[in-house]
Amino acid sequence: MPRHLVFLALLLTGAVPTVHAQTEYYARIGAIGATNLLHDVIVTELTLRQSIAPMIALGGSLPVGSRGYRANLEATLVSGKYHRSQDGNSDNIGTLRTATLMLGLEGPVWREVRWRAGLGAIQYWPADDEGIFLSGGTTRFLVGAGADYRRPVMAKWDLMTSLRYDFHRFRTGTLEARGFSQSQGVSRASLSVGLSRSFR
Amino acid sequence: MTPRVRLTAVAFAMVALACGDIASPRRDDFYEWRLEAPSPSGSGLDTISFHWPADRLPVRIWVESADPLPADVARAITIWRDVFLYGEYDATVVTDSTTADVIVVSGVAPGPQLSLTRLNRVMAPQCAGTTDVEVSDDHTQLRLPIRIYINAQSAPGSPGLDACLALTVVHELGHSIGIFRHSSNPADLMYFDPAVTLPSERDRTTAEVLYHVPSTVEPVRP
Repeated sequence: MPRHLVFLALLLTGAVPTVHAQTEYYARIGAIGATNLLHDVIVTELTLRQSIAPMIALGGSLPVGSRGYRANLEATLVSGKYHRSQDGNSDNIGTLRTATLMLGLEGPVWREVRWRAGLGAIQYWPADDEGIFLSGGTTRFLVGAGADYRRPVMAKWDLMTSLRYDFHRFRTGTLEARGFSQSQGVSRASLSVGLSRSFR
Repeated sequence: MTPRVRLTAVAFAMVALACGDIASPRRDDFYEWRLEAPSPSGSGLDTISFHWPADRLPVRIWVESADPLPADVARAITIWRDVFLYGEYDATVVTDSTTADVIVVSGVAPGPQLSLTRLNRVMAPQCAGTTDVEVSDDHTQLRLPIRIYINAQSAPGSPGLDACLALTVVHELGHSIGIFRHSSNPADLMYFDPAVTLPSERDRTTAEVLYHVPSTVEPVRP
């Protein structure tokens, strides 16, 4: 893991007492959908796609400067099926888990709405090493952005609603070995709700 | 760098990141896998193509407990399953032969039966294999189970016997997945007397294509 991510993680877990009071933590649950993992043609066109799946997100942020910006680190975990579609038929072909870790920056937009953008990585963990994951999962570079809406529900806690979009390019070692070239752009969008410890 | 230049660079980077899709390989090098049989109407030939439908997976295979058959069958299942990228084929070993889709036994195939199509591999001196596929007279049904016979033609422990048995089991299981014909290329596992131990790229392409062409027969249990 890059050193700056480790440093930020240490900060967020309270390793530095002076910033601990300004640290925000949050946890959310929600659902995520993704575009096709790949297109292929075997007699006719087929696509492979992750089904809409439940997700959990954990993260935290620290203030940066005095204009309301914050640096954040967010991790997500998704577990769901993926399926093949061809000629109008769709078959589940396995379970796929993905985990992301993203380092980003967030800032105010309007009232309780904040924007965020970040960079990180996505790891694919298939339940079984078979098919396009015969040689195992894969880790890909990830960029993402989103918006958060916070509504106070308790003294120090906010209800947090988040909309996220991220993008990465997908390929696996098996696909490469089987003659696929380039990679597939995969967009993901999620909607999630949770609680955050307020930083106001 | 001015903000405008920075913004343009970021925009170009995003476009470069997002453009282009994965490009799939060409799958045009395969051999004929379909059986040809005289048409029931008496004129011409029927072409019989079969693959296991998704709702019949995993295919249930019963194997006689005669060493090294169980281990060879388990290995052959893995080899053929790994040929496919999208879960088109899977099989499992079952303990009840009466519900099996494929039965693998040790020994010589019984005498010819008219309704059976026999796919032989007989050239190796150490062992031989036979797969019997029974298709209904009207060529619309494949009657289960498919029967595979693996016959050791030399004494246990003979040089090359274990390798021959392992290779023959993979080859015969290749027939049971739907490759009903032999390749004409000695470099393919489905050549009538194969020398290679694993599916070649042509074997793989053939298997992939056959699982994306509609079956002409439906598997049924009489």
